[in-house]
Amino acid sequence: MIADEATMAQMMAASQKGDRAIYRALLSEVQLWLERYFRKRVAPAQLDDLVQEVMMAVHTKRATWDPTRAFYPWLAAIARYRWIDHLRKVYRSAEDELGDHDAPEDSEEEAVMARMSLERLFVHLPDKQAEVIELVKIEGLTISEASAKTGQSESLVKVNIHRGLKKLSALVEKAE
Amino acid sequence: MNRVPNSLIDDLAGDLAPVKPIRLTHGIALVALSAVATVVLVELLDGLWHGIVSGQASGVFFIANGMLGMVGAAAALAVLRMASPRVGNTHDGARWSSAMLALLPLTALLMLGAGGLVSALSHDAYGLDCFLAGAAFGLVTATTLVLWLRRGAPVSLNAAGTYTGIAAGAIGSFAYGLACPIDTIDHLGMWHIAPVGLMALVGRFAIPPLVRW
Repeated sequence: MIADEATMAQMMAASQKGDRAIYRALLSEVQLWLERYFRKRVAPAQLDDLVQEVMMAVHTKRATWDPTRAFYPWLAAIARYRWIDHLRKVYRSAEDELGDHDAPEDSEEEAVMARMSLERLFVHLPDKQAEVIELVKIEGLTISEASAKTGQSESLVKVNIHRGLKKLSALVEKAE
Repeated sequence: MNRVPNSLIDDLAGDLAPVKPIRLTHGIALVALSAVATVVLVELLDGLWHGIVSGQASGVFFIANGMLGMVGAAAALAVLRMASPRVGNTHDGARWSSAMLALLPLTALLMLGAGGLVSALSHDAYGLDCFLAGAAFGLVTATTLVLWLRRGAPVSLNAAGTYTGIAAGAIGSFAYGLACPIDTIDHLGMWHIAPVGLMALVGRFAIPPLVRW
Protein backbone atom coordinates (compact mmCIF):
# COMPACT_ATOMS: atom_id res chain seq x y z
CA MET A 1 0.00 0.00 0.00
CA ILE A 2 1.46 3.29 -1.10
CA ALA A 3 0.70 6.43 0.86
CA ASP A 4 -2.04 8.71 -0.42
CA GLU A 5 -1.60 12.16 -1.87
CA ALA A 6 -2.30 14.09 1.31
CA THR A 7 0.17 12.02 3.34
CA MET A 8 2.89 12.35 0.71
CA ALA A 9 2.35 16.10 0.46
CA GLN A 10 2.66 16.42 4.24
CA MET A 11 5.80 14.31 4.27
CA MET A 12 7.35 16.28 1.43
CA ALA A 13 6.60 19.57 3.16
CA ALA A 14 8.33 18.27 6.30
CA SER A 15 11.24 17.02 4.19
CA GLN A 16 11.70 20.43 2.63
CA LYS A 17 12.08 21.74 6.18
CA GLY A 18 14.84 19.21 6.82
CA ASP A 19 13.10 16.42 8.79
CA ARG A 20 15.33 13.42 8.04
CA ALA A 21 13.17 10.71 9.62
CA ILE A 22 10.16 11.75 7.59
CA TYR A 23 12.29 12.13 4.50
CA ARG A 24 13.49 8.55 4.89
CA ALA A 25 9.88 7.38 5.07
CA LEU A 26 8.98 9.52 2.09
CA LEU A 27 11.80 8.07 0.00
CA SER A 28 10.70 4.52 0.84
CA GLU A 29 7.22 5.35 -0.42
CA VAL A 30 8.65 7.05 -3.49
CA GLN A 31 10.73 3.98 -4.20
CA LEU A 32 7.68 1.70 -4.07
CA TRP A 33 5.66 4.05 -6.21
CA LEU A 34 8.40 4.31 -8.83
CA GLU A 35 8.84 0.55 -9.01
CA ARG A 36 5.18 0.17 -9.73
CA TYR A 37 5.14 3.12 -12.10
CA PHE A 38 7.97 1.84 -14.29
CA ARG A 39 7.17 -1.85 -13.99
CA LYS A 40 5.87 -2.49 -17.46
CA ARG A 41 7.87 0.15 -19.26
CA VAL A 42 11.41 -0.72 -18.27
CA ALA A 43 13.38 -3.92 -18.62
CA PRO A 44 13.59 -5.51 -15.13
CA ALA A 45 17.38 -5.44 -15.07
CA GLN A 46 17.33 -1.69 -15.61
CA LEU A 47 14.54 -0.91 -13.19
CA ASP A 48 16.73 -0.38 -10.14
CA ASP A 49 19.04 2.02 -11.97
CA LEU A 50 16.15 4.08 -13.21
CA VAL A 51 14.42 4.17 -9.82
CA GLN A 52 17.70 5.23 -8.26
CA GLU A 53 18.19 7.97 -10.84
CA VAL A 54 14.73 9.36 -10.22
CA MET A 55 15.20 9.26 -6.45
CA MET A 56 18.40 11.25 -6.78
CA ALA A 57 16.60 13.71 -9.05
CA VAL A 58 13.84 14.02 -6.45
CA HIS A 59 16.49 14.75 -3.84
CA THR A 60 18.35 17.31 -5.94
CA LYS A 61 15.21 19.05 -7.13
CA ARG A 62 13.16 18.80 -3.94
CA ALA A 63 12.84 22.58 -3.75
CA THR A 64 10.91 22.59 -7.04
CA TRP A 65 7.87 20.99 -5.43
CA ASP A 66 5.45 23.73 -4.59
CA PRO A 67 3.68 22.88 -1.30
CA THR A 68 0.49 24.44 -2.64
CA ARG A 69 0.30 21.83 -5.41
CA ALA A 70 -0.14 18.05 -5.47
CA PHE A 71 2.85 15.77 -4.90
CA TYR A 72 2.26 12.82 -7.22
CA PRO A 73 1.88 14.83 -10.45
CA TRP A 74 5.23 16.46 -9.61
CA LEU A 75 6.85 13.09 -9.00
CA ALA A 76 5.30 11.65 -12.18
CA ALA A 77 6.64 14.53 -14.29
CA ILE A 78 10.17 13.91 -13.00
CA ALA A 79 9.75 10.16 -13.48
CA ARG A 80 8.59 10.58 -17.07
CA TYR A 81 11.46 12.98 -17.82
CA ARG A 82 14.07 10.58 -16.52
CA TRP A 83 12.37 7.62 -18.20
CA ILE A 84 12.58 9.26 -21.63
CA ASP A 85 16.23 10.06 -20.96
CA HIS A 86 16.67 6.44 -20.01
CA LEU A 87 15.04 5.22 -23.23
CA ARG A 88 17.49 7.31 -25.18
CA LYS A 89 20.41 5.70 -23.40
CA VAL A 90 19.52 2.05 -23.15
CA TYR A 91 21.38 -0.55 -25.08
CA ARG A 92 20.44 -4.06 -25.80
CA SER A 93 20.95 -6.48 -22.98
CA ALA A 94 20.22 -10.10 -23.72
CA GLU A 95 18.72 -10.99 -20.38
CA ASP A 96 16.32 -8.09 -20.44
CA GLU A 97 13.07 -9.86 -21.06
CA LEU A 98 9.96 -8.25 -19.76
CA GLY A 99 8.13 -10.57 -17.48
CA ASP A 100 4.67 -10.24 -16.17
CA HIS A 101 5.16 -8.24 -13.04
CA ASP A 102 1.64 -6.96 -12.85
CA ALA A 103 0.22 -6.72 -9.41
CA PRO A 104 -3.27 -5.70 -8.53
CA GLU A 105 -3.66 -1.96 -8.17
CA ASP A 106 -4.46 -1.57 -4.54
CA SER A 107 -5.72 1.86 -3.61
CA GLU A 108 -7.87 4.78 -4.54
CA GLU A 109 -4.77 6.31 -6.07
CA GLU A 110 -5.33 3.92 -8.96
CA ALA A 111 -7.28 6.44 -11.02
CA VAL A 112 -4.69 9.16 -10.47
CA MET A 113 -1.93 6.72 -11.24
CA ALA A 114 -3.61 5.62 -14.45
CA ARG A 115 -4.00 9.19 -15.55
CA MET A 116 -0.32 9.89 -15.08
CA SER A 117 0.91 6.54 -16.32
CA LEU A 118 3.49 6.01 -18.99
CA GLU A 119 0.94 4.18 -21.13
CA ARG A 120 -0.86 7.51 -21.46
CA LEU A 121 2.16 8.85 -23.28
CA PHE A 122 2.27 5.97 -25.74
CA VAL A 123 -1.35 6.63 -26.69
CA HIS A 124 -0.19 9.81 -28.40
CA LEU A 125 2.34 8.03 -30.60
CA PRO A 126 1.50 6.48 -33.97
CA ASP A 127 1.44 2.69 -33.66
CA LYS A 128 4.58 2.26 -35.76
CA GLN A 129 6.61 4.55 -33.49
CA ALA A 130 5.29 3.04 -30.26
CA GLU A 131 5.92 -0.48 -31.54
CA VAL A 132 9.59 0.03 -32.41
CA ILE A 133 10.31 1.99 -29.24
CA GLU A 134 8.89 -0.90 -27.22
CA LEU A 135 10.86 -3.50 -29.17
CA VAL A 136 14.22 -1.75 -29.31
CA LYS A 137 14.32 0.51 -26.26
CA ILE A 138 12.37 -1.58 -23.78
CA GLU A 139 12.62 -5.21 -24.88
CA GLY A 140 16.17 -4.76 -26.16
CA LEU A 141 15.89 -6.03 -29.72
CA THR A 142 18.42 -4.84 -32.28
CA ILE A 143 17.34 -2.54 -35.10
CA SER A 144 17.50 -5.40 -37.58
CA GLU A 145 15.47 -7.73 -35.34
CA ALA A 146 12.85 -5.04 -34.88
CA SER A 147 12.85 -4.48 -38.62
CA ALA A 148 12.25 -8.18 -39.29
CA LYS A 149 9.54 -8.39 -36.66
CA THR A 150 7.61 -5.30 -37.75
CA GLY A 151 8.21 -5.32 -41.49
CA GLN A 152 9.58 -1.77 -41.29
CA SER A 153 12.90 -1.14 -43.04
CA GLU A 154 15.89 -0.61 -40.72
CA SER A 155 16.12 3.06 -41.57
CA LEU A 156 12.41 3.46 -40.93
CA VAL A 157 12.83 1.80 -37.53
CA LYS A 158 15.54 4.33 -36.66
CA VAL A 159 13.48 7.25 -37.91
CA ASN A 160 10.41 6.07 -36.00
CA ILE A 161 12.39 5.67 -32.78
CA HIS A 162 13.90 9.12 -33.18
CA ARG A 163 10.57 10.79 -33.94
CA GLY A 164 8.76 8.84 -31.25
CA LEU A 165 11.22 9.80 -28.52
CA LYS A 166 11.10 13.42 -29.64
CA LYS A 167 7.34 13.37 -29.40
CA LEU A 168 7.43 11.72 -25.97
CA SER A 169 9.72 14.50 -24.73
CA ALA A 170 7.13 17.06 -25.70
CA LEU A 171 4.42 15.18 -23.84
CA VAL A 172 6.02 14.80 -20.42
CA GLU A 173 3.60 17.11 -18.62
CA LYS A 174 0.58 16.09 -20.65
CA ALA A 175 -1.79 13.92 -18.68
CA GLU A 176 -4.01 12.39 -21.32
CA MET B 1 11.68 -7.60 -7.42
CA ASN B 2 15.04 -6.12 -6.50
CA ARG B 3 14.87 -3.05 -4.35
CA VAL B 4 17.01 0.02 -4.53
CA PRO B 5 19.63 -0.43 -1.81
CA ASN B 6 18.53 1.23 1.41
CA SER B 7 21.97 2.78 1.58
CA LEU B 8 20.80 5.19 -1.09
CA ILE B 9 17.90 6.27 1.09
CA ASP B 10 20.26 6.60 4.03
CA ASP B 11 22.69 8.66 1.95
CA LEU B 12 20.01 10.96 0.63
CA ALA B 13 18.44 11.37 4.06
CA GLY B 14 21.87 12.06 5.55
CA ASP B 15 22.44 14.73 2.94
CA LEU B 16 19.11 16.40 3.60
CA ALA B 17 19.19 20.09 4.35
CA PRO B 18 16.24 22.46 4.58
CA VAL B 19 15.31 24.08 1.29
CA LYS B 20 13.09 26.98 0.40
CA PRO B 21 10.49 25.72 -2.02
CA ILE B 22 10.16 27.54 -5.31
CA ARG B 23 7.26 29.97 -5.14
CA LEU B 24 5.51 31.11 -8.25
CA THR B 25 4.91 34.52 -6.68
CA HIS B 26 8.66 35.04 -6.31
CA GLY B 27 9.13 34.25 -9.97
CA ILE B 28 6.36 36.65 -10.96
CA ALA B 29 7.97 39.37 -8.86
CA LEU B 30 11.35 38.74 -10.50
CA VAL B 31 9.92 38.92 -14.01
CA ALA B 32 8.01 42.09 -13.12
CA LEU B 33 11.23 43.62 -11.80
CA SER B 34 13.04 42.60 -14.98
CA ALA B 35 10.35 44.23 -17.09
CA VAL B 36 10.56 47.43 -15.06
CA ALA B 37 14.36 47.35 -15.29
CA THR B 38 14.07 46.97 -19.07
CA VAL B 39 11.80 50.00 -19.32
CA VAL B 40 14.21 52.01 -17.15
CA LEU B 41 17.08 50.89 -19.39
CA VAL B 42 15.15 52.04 -22.45
CA GLU B 43 14.52 55.41 -20.79
CA LEU B 44 18.21 55.79 -19.96
CA LEU B 45 19.50 54.74 -23.37
CA ASP B 46 16.84 56.07 -25.73
CA GLY B 47 14.31 58.05 -23.74
CA LEU B 48 10.64 57.13 -23.58
CA TRP B 49 8.27 58.80 -26.04
CA HIS B 50 6.43 61.58 -24.26
CA GLY B 51 3.72 61.55 -26.93
CA ILE B 52 2.21 58.58 -25.10
CA VAL B 53 1.01 60.76 -22.24
CA SER B 54 0.33 63.89 -24.28
CA GLY B 55 -2.29 62.21 -26.43
CA GLN B 56 -0.26 61.97 -29.65
CA ALA B 57 -0.16 58.17 -29.80
CA SER B 58 -2.66 56.37 -32.03
CA GLY B 59 -5.00 53.61 -30.93
CA VAL B 60 -2.94 50.98 -32.69
CA PHE B 61 0.07 52.05 -30.59
CA PHE B 62 -1.73 51.08 -27.40
CA ILE B 63 -3.23 47.94 -28.91
CA ALA B 64 0.09 46.67 -30.29
CA ASN B 65 2.12 47.42 -27.20
CA GLY B 66 -0.66 46.17 -24.94
CA MET B 67 -0.73 42.88 -26.84
CA LEU B 68 3.06 42.58 -26.58
CA GLY B 69 2.88 43.15 -22.85
CA MET B 70 0.13 40.58 -22.41
CA VAL B 71 1.91 37.97 -24.50
CA GLY B 72 5.09 38.61 -22.55
CA ALA B 73 3.25 38.13 -19.26
CA ALA B 74 1.46 34.95 -20.41
CA ALA B 75 4.61 33.38 -21.82
CA ALA B 76 6.67 34.33 -18.77
CA LEU B 77 4.05 32.80 -16.48
CA ALA B 78 4.16 29.58 -18.49
CA VAL B 79 7.95 29.45 -18.11
CA LEU B 80 7.77 30.12 -14.38
CA ARG B 81 5.32 27.25 -14.00
CA MET B 82 7.58 24.96 -16.02
CA ALA B 83 10.29 25.27 -13.39
CA SER B 84 8.02 23.38 -11.03
CA PRO B 85 6.86 20.49 -13.21
CA ARG B 86 3.73 18.43 -12.93
CA VAL B 87 1.77 16.08 -15.10
CA GLY B 88 -1.23 18.08 -16.14
CA ASN B 89 0.60 21.39 -16.70
CA THR B 90 -0.77 23.04 -19.80
CA HIS B 91 0.37 26.27 -21.33
CA ASP B 92 -2.72 27.13 -23.31
CA GLY B 93 -2.76 30.76 -22.21
CA ALA B 94 0.71 31.36 -23.62
CA ARG B 95 -0.06 29.42 -26.77
CA TRP B 96 -3.26 31.28 -27.58
CA SER B 97 -1.93 34.70 -26.71
CA SER B 98 1.13 34.08 -28.88
CA ALA B 99 -1.15 33.10 -31.74
CA MET B 100 -3.16 36.25 -31.09
CA LEU B 101 -0.06 38.34 -31.74
CA ALA B 102 -0.11 37.18 -35.36
CA LEU B 103 -3.18 39.39 -35.81
CA LEU B 104 -0.96 42.46 -36.03
CA PRO B 105 1.18 41.49 -39.04
CA LEU B 106 -1.93 39.94 -40.59
CA THR B 107 -3.80 43.21 -40.20
CA ALA B 108 -0.89 45.09 -41.77
CA LEU B 109 -0.92 42.67 -44.66
CA LEU B 110 -4.68 42.92 -45.20
CA MET B 111 -4.71 46.71 -44.99
CA LEU B 112 -1.72 47.40 -47.20
CA GLY B 113 -1.64 44.35 -49.45
CA ALA B 114 1.56 42.43 -50.09
CA GLY B 115 3.04 45.07 -52.42
CA GLY B 116 2.12 47.96 -50.16
CA LEU B 117 3.54 46.22 -47.12
CA VAL B 118 6.85 45.45 -48.82
CA SER B 119 7.05 49.04 -49.99
CA ALA B 120 6.26 50.38 -46.51
CA LEU B 121 8.83 48.10 -44.89
CA SER B 122 11.56 48.93 -47.37
CA HIS B 123 11.01 52.66 -46.84
CA ASP B 124 10.94 52.35 -43.06
CA ALA B 125 14.28 53.81 -42.02
CA TYR B 126 13.86 52.87 -38.37
CA GLY B 127 12.37 49.40 -38.75
CA LEU B 128 15.57 47.42 -38.41
CA ASP B 129 16.65 49.48 -35.41
CA CYS B 130 13.36 48.71 -33.64
CA PHE B 131 13.67 45.04 -34.49
CA LEU B 132 17.22 44.73 -33.15
CA ALA B 133 16.59 46.91 -30.10
CA GLY B 134 13.43 44.98 -29.17
CA ALA B 135 15.34 41.70 -29.30
CA ALA B 136 18.35 43.11 -27.43
CA PHE B 137 16.26 44.58 -24.60
CA GLY B 138 14.58 41.18 -24.32
CA LEU B 139 17.84 39.75 -23.02
CA VAL B 140 17.11 41.12 -19.55
CA THR B 141 13.95 39.01 -19.26
CA ALA B 142 15.61 36.06 -20.99
CA THR B 143 18.41 36.05 -18.40
CA THR B 144 15.94 36.13 -15.51
CA LEU B 145 13.88 33.26 -16.92
CA VAL B 146 16.89 31.10 -17.75
CA LEU B 147 18.21 31.52 -14.21
CA TRP B 148 14.78 30.61 -12.85
CA LEU B 149 14.62 27.51 -15.03
CA ARG B 150 18.10 26.46 -13.96
CA ARG B 151 16.99 26.67 -10.36
CA GLY B 152 13.90 24.62 -11.20
CA ALA B 153 13.30 21.29 -12.87
CA PRO B 154 11.87 21.91 -16.33
CA VAL B 155 10.84 18.70 -18.06
CA SER B 156 9.62 20.22 -21.33
CA LEU B 157 12.88 21.75 -22.46
CA ASN B 158 11.97 22.75 -26.00
CA ALA B 159 8.75 24.38 -24.89
CA ALA B 160 10.57 26.10 -22.03
CA GLY B 161 13.13 27.49 -24.49
CA THR B 162 10.51 28.65 -26.97
CA TYR B 163 8.31 30.35 -24.38
CA THR B 164 11.32 31.97 -22.76
CA GLY B 165 12.16 33.43 -26.16
CA ILE B 166 8.59 34.58 -26.71
CA ALA B 167 8.43 36.22 -23.28
CA ALA B 168 11.80 37.89 -23.74
CA GLY B 169 11.04 39.13 -27.26
CA ALA B 170 7.59 40.40 -26.27
CA ILE B 171 8.72 42.20 -23.11
CA GLY B 172 11.81 43.62 -24.84
CA SER B 173 9.75 44.87 -27.77
CA PHE B 174 7.08 46.22 -25.42
CA ALA B 175 9.70 48.19 -23.49
CA TYR B 176 11.38 49.54 -26.59
CA GLY B 177 7.96 50.28 -28.07
CA LEU B 178 7.51 52.89 -25.36
CA ALA B 179 10.40 54.81 -26.90
CA CYS B 180 9.28 54.50 -30.50
CA PRO B 181 7.04 57.27 -31.88
CA ILE B 182 6.21 55.46 -35.12
CA ASP B 183 2.71 54.15 -34.50
CA THR B 184 1.56 52.90 -37.89
CA ILE B 185 0.22 49.38 -38.30
CA ASP B 186 2.90 48.37 -40.82
CA HIS B 187 5.75 49.46 -38.53
CA LEU B 188 4.30 48.06 -35.31
CA GLY B 189 2.80 44.96 -36.93
CA MET B 190 6.05 43.92 -38.54
CA TRP B 191 9.12 45.41 -36.89
CA HIS B 192 7.84 45.30 -33.34
CA ILE B 193 6.45 41.77 -33.62
CA ALA B 194 9.47 40.32 -35.41
CA PRO B 195 11.64 40.29 -32.23
CA VAL B 196 9.16 37.85 -30.69
CA GLY B 197 9.62 35.44 -33.60
CA LEU B 198 13.38 35.83 -33.59
CA MET B 199 13.72 35.32 -29.86
CA ALA B 200 11.36 32.33 -29.93
CA LEU B 201 13.57 30.71 -32.53
CA VAL B 202 16.77 31.52 -30.66
CA GLY B 203 15.22 30.33 -27.38
CA ARG B 204 14.04 27.06 -28.90
CA PHE B 205 17.58 26.09 -29.86
CA ALA B 206 19.85 27.96 -27.43
CA ILE B 207 18.05 27.54 -24.11
CA PRO B 208 17.45 23.76 -23.73
CA PRO B 209 21.19 23.01 -23.31
CA LEU B 210 21.39 25.74 -20.66
CA VAL B 211 18.55 24.38 -18.53
CA ARG B 212 18.95 20.62 -19.04
CA TRP B 213 19.38 18.75 -15.75
